[in-house]
Amino acid sequence: MFKELNPLLHSELRLGVMSILISVESADFTYIRKQTGTTAGNLSVQIEKLKEAGYIDVTKTFKGKMPCTTCKITNKGIEAFQQYIDALQSYLHPGQHKKEG
Amino acid sequence: MENVEMQDRPLNEQESLALIAKMIQNTQHRLERNAGLSRLVWGYITVITTIAVWIAFRLSDNYYWNYLWFLIPVTGIPYLLLRKRQPKEVRTYVDKVISYIWIVLGSTGFLLSVLSIFSVMWSFPILFIIILIMGMGSILTGLVTEFKAAIICGIIAMVIGAINYLTNAFDIKMLTFALAFIVMDVIPGHIVNYRAKKRCSKN
Repeated sequence: MFKELNPLLHSELRLGVMSILISVESADFTYIRKQTGTTAGNLSVQIEKLKEAGYIDVTKTFKGKMPCTTCKITNKGIEAFQQYIDALQSYLHPGQHKKEG
Repeated sequence: MENVEMQDRPLNEQESLALIAKMIQNTQHRLERNAGLSRLVWGYITVITTIAVWIAFRLSDNYYWNYLWFLIPVTGIPYLLLRKRQPKEVRTYVDKVISYIWIVLGSTGFLLSVLSIFSVMWSFPILFIIILIMGMGSILTGLVTEFKAAIICGIIAMVIGAINYLTNAFDIKMLTFALAFIVMDVIPGHIVNYRAKKRCSKN
């Protein structure tokens, strides 16, 4: 049985952001933008969506005189990411999941 | 690694897995420019202070020259505060572990040094103990970050520490102390910076 893929994570940019944040304690906006190669405007919109879903925490501080936005994955975000990986595996190895189920 | 602009578009299952793997790999293999700066700052401050204390004692035998050791925290702590005001772009769990290792070892070293200077633990071979504590830090950092040079340099520094303990000559004690910090901080610091510079200019 195929599991449903979380539509919020099943987008290239949002999945990219979550994949970065799952492997670090925190990352700032500039770093995420460099890694995803996207525009600041587009990234802001996607970060806001992840924040609204409770998947990430966003903290705004200052780095010297420059504003700095730091993102950190939440427990809810980690859980959603794990469920997404689990669902992906049900598509890639359907037989294995049938046996387990 | 080249970054293609990501869009708000759905992916197929293979693309999703490939993207996750790529993002995690990019972040884990990141090496920032000047990544060895902390080692260099603490290493050079300690070496310069040691030489200053040594020269001072050679000029006149006054116990109060030991207060010169406080030059290490006096010059090192402002560096830490400055660094805290400019946080890194990304902080990994490895960064967090390394930071905790150095907070614990640094505080222990500082406490023992203060006790030693104020004669509470006069009989303690403080220079040897500091080399051991900082050598442990270097080896642990090397193990956590898989940086062989730091492990080897930490071990060599501990051997220098043993010489420091076994000798009674003041000059050799001071010079081996400075040498240990060159080996476990200055050399690995320059190696890390060289590697980071090479990697950053490639990208």
